[in-house]
Amino acid sequence: MTTSASAVPRREFSISNEYNYNRASAMRWIVSHVMRHAGVLLLALGSAVVASFLYAWVSRLGGRAVDTISLGSEASEALLRIVLTICVAVVVRTLFDLLSGWMKEVLGARLQRDVREELEISLLGKSQTFHNRQRTGDIMARSTDDVRQLGMMITPGIALIYDSVLFIIFPIAMIGTIHLQLLVVPLVYIAVFLIALRRFNRKLSPVSGAMQMNFGRMNTTLNESITGIELVKSAAREAFELRKFLGTAAAHRRYFMEQGRIQATYWPMLYLGIALSLMFGHGLWLVTQDLITIGDLVAFMSLAYLLGFPTFISIFSFTLVQMGMAGAKRILDIINQDTELDENRAGYRGLLRGHVVFDRVTYSYDAVPTLEDVSFEVSPGECIAIVGQTGSGKSTLTKMVNRIFDCDSGSVIVDGVDVRDWNLESLRSQISMIEQDIFLYSRTLRENIGFGLGGGRLDDERIQQAARAAQAHEFIMGFQDGYDTVIGERGVTLSGGQRQRIAIARALLTNPRILIIDDSTSAVDSATEDEIQRAINNVMKERTTFLITHRIAQIRKADKILVLTRGRVVDLGSHDELLARCDLYRRIFIRTSTSVNAMAGS
Amino acid sequence: MGFFMDGLDAEAYDRTYSDRQLVSRIIAQFKPQSLLMGIVSVTILMQSLMDTALPLLTARGVDAMVGEANLQQGLVLMVMIFIAGAMGWVYNYVRQRQTSRVVANVVFRMRQQAFAAIMQRDMSFYDEFPSGSIVSRVTSDTQEFSNTVTLTLNLASQLLLVLILLGVMFFIHVQLALISMVLLPLVTVAALSFRHIARNVTTQVRRILAQVNTTVQETVTGIAVAKNFRQERAIFDTFQDVNERSYGLNLRQGFVFAAIFPILFLLSGMATAMLLYFGGHLAFAGELTTGEWFLFITTVERLMFPMTSIASFWSQFQLGMAAAERVFALIDTEPLVVQHDNRPVPLLEGHIQFRDVHFRYSEQEQVLEDFNLDIAPGETVALVGHTGAGKSSLGKLVARFYEFQKGLLLVDGIDIRSFDLDAYHRQLGMVAQSPFLFSGTVRDNIRYGREDATDDVAEKAAHAVGGGFWLRSLPQGLDTETGEMGSSLSLGQRQLVALARLLVQDPRMIILDEATASVDPLTEAQIQEGLDLVLRDRTAIVIAHRLSTIQAADRIIVMRHGRIIEEGSHDSLMLQGGHYAELYATYFRHHAMDYELA
Repeated sequence: MTTSASAVPRREFSISNEYNYNRASAMRWIVSHVMRHAGVLLLALGSAVVASFLYAWVSRLGGRAVDTISLGSEASEALLRIVLTICVAVVVRTLFDLLSGWMKEVLGARLQRDVREELEISLLGKSQTFHNRQRTGDIMARSTDDVRQLGMMITPGIALIYDSVLFIIFPIAMIGTIHLQLLVVPLVYIAVFLIALRRFNRKLSPVSGAMQMNFGRMNTTLNESITGIELVKSAAREAFELRKFLGTAAAHRRYFMEQGRIQATYWPMLYLGIALSLMFGHGLWLVTQDLITIGDLVAFMSLAYLLGFPTFISIFSFTLVQMGMAGAKRILDIINQDTELDENRAGYRGLLRGHVVFDRVTYSYDAVPTLEDVSFEVSPGECIAIVGQTGSGKSTLTKMVNRIFDCDSGSVIVDGVDVRDWNLESLRSQISMIEQDIFLYSRTLRENIGFGLGGGRLDDERIQQAARAAQAHEFIMGFQDGYDTVIGERGVTLSGGQRQRIAIARALLTNPRILIIDDSTSAVDSATEDEIQRAINNVMKERTTFLITHRIAQIRKADKILVLTRGRVVDLGSHDELLARCDLYRRIFIRTSTSVNAMAGS
Repeated sequence: MGFFMDGLDAEAYDRTYSDRQLVSRIIAQFKPQSLLMGIVSVTILMQSLMDTALPLLTARGVDAMVGEANLQQGLVLMVMIFIAGAMGWVYNYVRQRQTSRVVANVVFRMRQQAFAAIMQRDMSFYDEFPSGSIVSRVTSDTQEFSNTVTLTLNLASQLLLVLILLGVMFFIHVQLALISMVLLPLVTVAALSFRHIARNVTTQVRRILAQVNTTVQETVTGIAVAKNFRQERAIFDTFQDVNERSYGLNLRQGFVFAAIFPILFLLSGMATAMLLYFGGHLAFAGELTTGEWFLFITTVERLMFPMTSIASFWSQFQLGMAAAERVFALIDTEPLVVQHDNRPVPLLEGHIQFRDVHFRYSEQEQVLEDFNLDIAPGETVALVGHTGAGKSSLGKLVARFYEFQKGLLLVDGIDIRSFDLDAYHRQLGMVAQSPFLFSGTVRDNIRYGREDATDDVAEKAAHAVGGGFWLRSLPQGLDTETGEMGSSLSLGQRQLVALARLLVQDPRMIILDEATASVDPLTEAQIQEGLDLVLRDRTAIVIAHRLSTIQAADRIIVMRHGRIIEEGSHDSLMLQGGHYAELYATYFRHHAMDYELA
């Protein structure tokens, strides 16, 4: 399944100067991200080396200071010299400390920026099939939490581990300069510490993971009980909901205690205590043997205390790395997912007339057949209405026309050319779709209507023209800021009917040859309905139109009506033909027709 | 280490409890855990003592070696250091373990109380609090509170350690102890001013991050539009702009945070130098032993860390208290709907009478005034009127979701306020505009209508609705997963599931708030058939949005400003040419099959 590093995966969007990361595994991917900023990395690592050397050296100097006592009369001057040296060392150390810290931050921030960018490009290039399968919440979690965790893994996570290593190496090296024999206990301790740390992490991470999962479950359960409170109350199921919630809450208690138990059993802390006492004994013995001075003993013990830093910080830093790696895997999962389509830059380009043929089209989604053996033909300028229950494949069918989906077998032919042989850009830019759930960006109305024209200058004249044809101009001018009105979270909320008319204007502006209208399910009053109808009638003129609608009055007027059940064509014909011969089609009108008769009397 | 940054997001909050009330509430929560709390306190003290013993014994050991080396004493000290280290570990183990038990128990109990409390509340409570805020009170706020408890206990043990060490240092040499204390205010000031800068940057970073998230979210939710118009590049440019700005601010935040520890270590390094110098002179003068000198030098950094923790403690503590307060406020809200009695409910016929009922949601707007309505057993009443006419309020009062202020509401001649509410609700069915489904299978959801319903019953009900034709549109039939809040099902399918669920519940009375949104014509036909079945032989109040439903009702009631202004059949009301005819022209005209542009 893994894409090799060199092969460029298929996608529907790319930018020209993209950096090529190694995506073969999470580890290599992170490394290639970090190596992109090798200079910064080198600076961070190098200055950390200097800083931690100085930390150890200051401890060593402290020992020298103690030894000055034995110098007698010259002691005061010698002491001053040592203390001044320490001051200089501390200042220099701080500078390198800062440099190293800042470079690590640069690295962490750049990594987050780069990963976000990479993910965004990848998301834009993924097929609609991919996007339908993903939940927005999931993807958001990856681009926010997972990216942040990835950044935290570098800084402070790996940075701390690196520092820990330096805080092991330099104190130990410094101890070696005091007396080689003193190395025995620290080295044994380090070995034992590393083994114990590994075991600790292995025990802790499944519990933490389970706890996190359970917390999510608890939130979901609770949220459901509360959102569905009317149902819970009217079915008198409060006790049942309480039991459900307490189940997850009790699980949380269990995991929390288990985590507490594991964290309490952090063996390295005990080992450090033992090691310190042994080092002390060893130091004392060497003093009695006159192999080291009292000052050496003091320096030795100060250096030994420095080993506490890696011991305590490791719980924290390794957790960060584990979380970061998990996040990296999840992000890479998304980026590495194959997409079905590509841009087909070399494909056919041409002015579209709007002749569409479906020839024995079959398409499965997640191994569930969605369309089976669908064949029909639409002439330029015709309107075809598609009727069927939810899940009968109506929307999928229309999305094969602008190649949002590709069929598994058979072919979709536009103007005599298979859509797979069209240049994707050319095909899509001449087909407009008014989606069922209309999506508008949190920008101005002008930008939303002009969206199809790209980021360039927007011609006000044309935008207003489109808005007028879509019956939107009037209500837009009703807003204080007119076309500059910002919509969305931080702006004006539009009603369903208004959104629909903005979408129609947006579709109109690109002057498409084929129009796909997946009529909105929003509730409108009769006056709004009049306006929408007028707008739709305007846009349908001289264009091939695929129409999915709930409004039976509109279905009747279509040139052709295609009736679908579970992805199969049941019948195709005009309203009158179908009413005469199609049971399923007639069924729609059974109850409604009684009301029509009733209306006739009024 | 992360502790220093805690509580940066602290915000002011409205206090509703006095400090004393809050503290006594918190203590009450810990009461059942008093034995464990006792153990925790003792171990905190013991652990601090053991931690202090370590440097003290080392210092003593150094002294033992000065001049005439005394190996035997040294070895005794070594053993003592070993014991202190081991005991320290044991006490730490007991402390951490018992703390996690205490915290887990307290949090569990608070969650239990909170959940039980919200289940008792009537709908006015749910109007006031959005579901997100309730959820976060029950789960996140309790979590926040528990973090604060853990932090408080940790800080307590650190502070105890500092106090003991300071005591020892003052005991050894007052002046030198004062010199090492010079550092403490400096560290605290440095830490506080850093927090001030950090908070500003953090706010900016949070804002820009929200923008990045919005942009990514728009990429994902709007991907179909971007594809249709081939505008991926424009979307990417917008994203890149925000992403670069976010990078800049992240960097600034990183620079501030990364500067803290080097600067603190600079201070402690200088302090060490000072102690070396002055301590050295005191050692020459014989006022200080070498071991004591050593003790001072190694203790400076130990003193410093709790000080940085204290700087951030207060805001973190406030966060925890605010969280606890929000949870208590949730537990303490009084329900407004109160039953006078707990009468068992006989099998109801469904005769509903409103007698001079007065009702309002809040002081500002009166919804119903002297409202009278008599609904016969088995009758289907369709309510029509503009938004805010009081249609849905009628249904909610019958469901006992809100308390009315005056008048009488009788069901089968019995005061609705005297019923056992659970038993009453079992005989009352509701269908919301956008029916709610739990995540699980369609079958589970249909079964939800009745506690003791079997799969068999659910299946029968499903097949009864619209002849079961709709089940064919579900990929796995009754085993189809509904997704979070029913998100994998269409609105029409959710309505069909709700109707089947209602059949399982088999209530005597039904309140139906019809969906305003339209569904595809084939599903619509199914829903209509399902409705015919469900409403048969049951009393029903239908808040109608469909022409066909209105026409099928026994009686149409036209409401305006909380009053009934017209009633009758569709035809007779149309002939009257009053408010109903007006409503028809506004809302229902385009539902008709022969609808043409006006």
